[in-house]
Amino acid sequence: MIKEVNDINFNEEIANSDNIVVVDFWAPWCGPCKMLSPVIEELANEMGKNVKFAKINVDESPIIASTYKISSIPTVMVFNKDSVKETLVGFRPKAELKKVIEKNL
Amino acid sequence: MNARYDIAIIGTGPAGLEAAINAKIRNKNIIIFGSEDLSSKISKAAKVNNFLGLYNITGIQLKNSFAEHIAAMGIGIVNEKINNVYAMGDYFALMVNEKSYEAKAIILATGIEYTKPLIGEEEFLGKGVGYCATCDAPLYKGKTVVIVGYNKKSVEETNYVSELSEKTYFIPMYKGEYNLNQNVEIVNHKPLKIVGNDVVTKIILDQGEIVTDGVFMLRDSVSPSQLVPGIEIENGHIKVNRDMKTNIEGCYAAGDCTGTPYQYMKSAGEGLVAALSAVSYVDKLHDNK
Repeated sequence: MIKEVNDINFNEEIANSDNIVVVDFWAPWCGPCKMLSPVIEELANEMGKNVKFAKINVDESPIIASTYKISSIPTVMVFNKDSVKETLVGFRPKAELKKVIEKNL
Repeated sequence: MNARYDIAIIGTGPAGLEAAINAKIRNKNIIIFGSEDLSSKISKAAKVNNFLGLYNITGIQLKNSFAEHIAAMGIGIVNEKINNVYAMGDYFALMVNEKSYEAKAIILATGIEYTKPLIGEEEFLGKGVGYCATCDAPLYKGKTVVIVGYNKKSVEETNYVSELSEKTYFIPMYKGEYNLNQNVEIVNHKPLKIVGNDVVTKIILDQGEIVTDGVFMLRDSVSPSQLVPGIEIENGHIKVNRDMKTNIEGCYAAGDCTGTPYQYMKSAGEGLVAALSAVSYVDKLHDNK
């Protein structure tokens, strides 16, 4: 399951989460984001037990997008509490994303 | 839904063509992207004496025998430029602007012709540097953007960006007419490097500099790491093993894009190996289903 997160529930869903959180920054007008989203979904199905998955629409969450200096999408970040452990800019194959996430478990 | 090809080959030089004929012989459903000219490098060669079996010929003669060979085998070239290849898991999505193709395996045979990145370009990728202006333009609403344009298409993208950004600069890297919106400022100086701290702050030119929030590099030919996000590069070339396999499952590479020596026979040989590896990968996919 992928949680929709925005400026309002960011702290509750990500900063205060017990698990690490994989966040997909996206927007509806971004082509590569559309390609990445089924890949993230597959990962969420496989790894959802130990890792939380979230997506943030940068159009609707300008505060978070500017706090984390999102200047290109898709961007995937791995959060542990409120600190960013990994940042991956652009589409990435599933195997690579999985490796990066596992490194942070 | 689009038909899913067994193998998609990107590039019509000796590596791509040799891959195509071998995959075809193995009865795979293939698609090959490139140009009718096959390879501009071959046509430019004055004399070729190191291609076994074809002695003392010109590049054009060599090109013509390649063309006859693939035509005789019923291989047609799709004259479209692939912008991105996304590894989706058990297949690849090949994007041509708004259109896309699907293939179970891919062979990269793109040669080595791409322009070197600017200093700082790779360092600031995603931190102010981008390759798709239309993708990221809304993130620069009310900000300053510099676009380094290598082709006509970059003018269209610049106009789109200028409708959202506060200030847009266009640095043309080719000669021609630029049909730009009035509020775009054309800068006729050569870009040298991109600098910043956490994020881009300015672009340094051979004369002066521009303070900016973002820089888009819009080129004709893209480097392998832009073409296939996630592919492993080593010393400026695609990293492959003896089976011509890259770090991405189902993705193979052959020819100049994998490294030196840049020679026809080496490219063709690698194309052959890549095709056979791709064929056995595709067969294995079927067995698992």
